[in-house]
Amino acid sequence: MPELAVAVDELAIRRAKTGDLDALEAVYRAYQSMVYTLARRICPTPEDAEEALQETFLEICKSIRRFRGSVPGSLTAWVKRIAASKALIRVRHEKYRETDEWRDDGWGTAGVDTGLSMDLETVLSQLSATARAVVWLHDVEGYTHEEIAGLMGKTVSFSKSQLSRAHVRLRRMLGEEA
Amino acid sequence: MYRHLTMAELLELRDREGKVAARQHVDTCEACAFEFELIHQRVAALRALPALQSPRDRWEVVRQQHVAGRRRGAWRAAGIMGMAAAAMLAVFVGVQSFTTDAVRAEADLQQALAQWMAESRRLESLLHAVDREPRVMTGMTAATIADLEDRIAFVDEGIARATAARYAPDQVGALWRERVALMGTLVNTHVRNVAYVGY
Repeated sequence: MPELAVAVDELAIRRAKTGDLDALEAVYRAYQSMVYTLARRICPTPEDAEEALQETFLEICKSIRRFRGSVPGSLTAWVKRIAASKALIRVRHEKYRETDEWRDDGWGTAGVDTGLSMDLETVLSQLSATARAVVWLHDVEGYTHEEIAGLMGKTVSFSKSQLSRAHVRLRRMLGEEA
Repeated sequence: MYRHLTMAELLELRDREGKVAARQHVDTCEACAFEFELIHQRVAALRALPALQSPRDRWEVVRQQHVAGRRRGAWRAAGIMGMAAAAMLAVFVGVQSFTTDAVRAEADLQQALAQWMAESRRLESLLHAVDREPRVMTGMTAATIADLEDRIAFVDEGIARATAARYAPDQVGALWRERVALMGTLVNTHVRNVAYVGY
């Protein structure tokens, strides 16, 4: 998991809760890479990931006074949850549905050489946004299917089937051979 | 099991949700064992992907929008304060008409309320003692803690609003009672995590 060293201490968290802009900036500096990475792995485009990054930190600035934890570990989990939620909102955006459907239907037959080994980042980006989100949240961030279903407004079996199909595709695209 | 496992079954096994028969099959079938290992390797490779940096620094935009939002919020708060003051005046006039019995009943409620508040303070101290050091925790535990903290924050907002508007002590008391229950669960979750890590 691409976890980063977080340099926000308890004092900075307390100051951020009071609305101190310097402390809020410290939170931004400490977590922006983590948030952008999560958003970029889920969102279809870098622009969407940037928007999700901005929306995540606007939400953090607005809501941090309600954040009850005092240690960086619980702040990290809270920040990640907001980031995942904002990124998924962008995934749900109407304009991507057609692309997702096209990728789901056309996988393995339209312009993809399934016998060719591909770079993992490229392969990941070739998955539908929903499948990519499920893979990233479950396999990398450690969310359960129940949590993913809650975040996506879908069922647990939806999350499980997306993960399973995504792994089949990843395996095929990566050209993993016995 | 006389057939190879599907990807879904292999993933269930990986997540420790698989059936015993599936586990036994992987132990004896070379092809499925290989597929199982590939899943682990694939996930390890995903986790090893590098962290990314946003091409542009968004802090200035975030700061400006946040400050603008805070100003709008201050104006809204001024309006709400005016309404709250009017509500308090109405409550004050109402309180003047209470009978002696009603005053006694309210005193009992106030005492119960004080007890809930004291219990809440005790749990806060306990939580602070347990929650001082960052510890390793599972994603599920972190999510549970975050959820409980959100719910407590939500109740806290309710308490602040109810107190500002001088709601009846039984209504405020119900909120404090809920807070104590949530705090108790939060403390237990932290204690369980500490015990688990310690073990």
